[in-house]
Amino acid sequence: MSAWIRGGRWIYRRVARAYPHEFRMTCGDGLDRLGDDMLPIVFREQGAVGVLRMLGDAVIRLPFEHFATWTDTLKEMAMNQDPFEGTWKANPVLSNFDPKYKPEQAFLRFEPTETGYLLVAYGIKDGQAVAERPTAIVADGRKRPVVDLNGRPIPGVPPGAMQYGNRPDRHTLEGGVEVDGKILGGGTYQVSADGKTLTVTTEGMGIKGPFKTTAVFERVMPDPYSPAQA
Amino acid sequence: MPRRTPESFLPLKSHWFHILLCLVDGEQHGYGIRQEVLERTQGKVPLWPATLYGSLKRLIQAGLIEESGERPAAELDDARRRYYKLTHLGRGVLDLESERLKDLVRVLHAKRRQGVRT
Repeated sequence: MSAWIRGGRWIYRRVARAYPHEFRMTCGDGLDRLGDDMLPIVFREQGAVGVLRMLGDAVIRLPFEHFATWTDTLKEMAMNQDPFEGTWKANPVLSNFDPKYKPEQAFLRFEPTETGYLLVAYGIKDGQAVAERPTAIVADGRKRPVVDLNGRPIPGVPPGAMQYGNRPDRHTLEGGVEVDGKILGGGTYQVSADGKTLTVTTEGMGIKGPFKTTAVFERVMPDPYSPAQA
Repeated sequence: MPRRTPESFLPLKSHWFHILLCLVDGEQHGYGIRQEVLERTQGKVPLWPATLYGSLKRLIQAGLIEESGERPAAELDDARRRYYKLTHLGRGVLDLESERLKDLVRVLHAKRRQGVRT
């Protein structure tokens, strides 16, 4: 047997074994076996160049398969978790912010709690890092007084203001604030079926006057605040 | 996860089309697929092992093919070989892609006829 075939087999088997476990689960030992079957034929028909091409194909695809396995795992993790949980970054091209409130960068972070979510909004506006007061979202259809996380009144919020939240389906949250039955502001948060984008539609009255915004956020992967990713 | 429609796979990748075409008549193993594609394309599409199995893996994940549970008798073939077959979705995608290619050829012929007349 030619040294090219012997050497080629030795290298090929080692490369084939370096393929990800998931790949080998799907293909079994097909990759190893096909290489074993093909090497003598390829050498007979194409010589050393053929052997090198075959080895090159296996070597070049190896990192791609590891990368594909890694992204599949991430996708699976994203699909299994709560659709809102995680950090989202606004896509300025797809978003239509109200000019008065348009940020350079905007992020939302949803953290599941026992009763719903803790929502933190932050970003960059006029070159400055800004952050809104963290908000608890309880989407059970009931109305509650607008208070901070410690149960204290929030300065600037009109007396008698009530917040409400609904969850019509797993991928949609609705919430807002009203006073005496009149809505001051509210919005809808909707996660796409693939879990990759979050569309936020808000409308109401802010410090600078009325606003209306439709913003599209993309999931930040991996989540920078997840302990598992640290 | 929502199931993809056959239309969403078009245009089909060339390697995928060749592999699906090999499975129209029935089940086939990796080496058989490679040989058939090589013969059909007069050696112009050599599916090297890693490329072939990478494509097979993705076709399985997409639901276009599946591993066959049946094995030929041990004396007829290597029992360790895995056989693959088309799924219903795979057959639908192959039909649609064939129609798409046929339409392209029809357009080409129509243009040529028009060119001859002028």
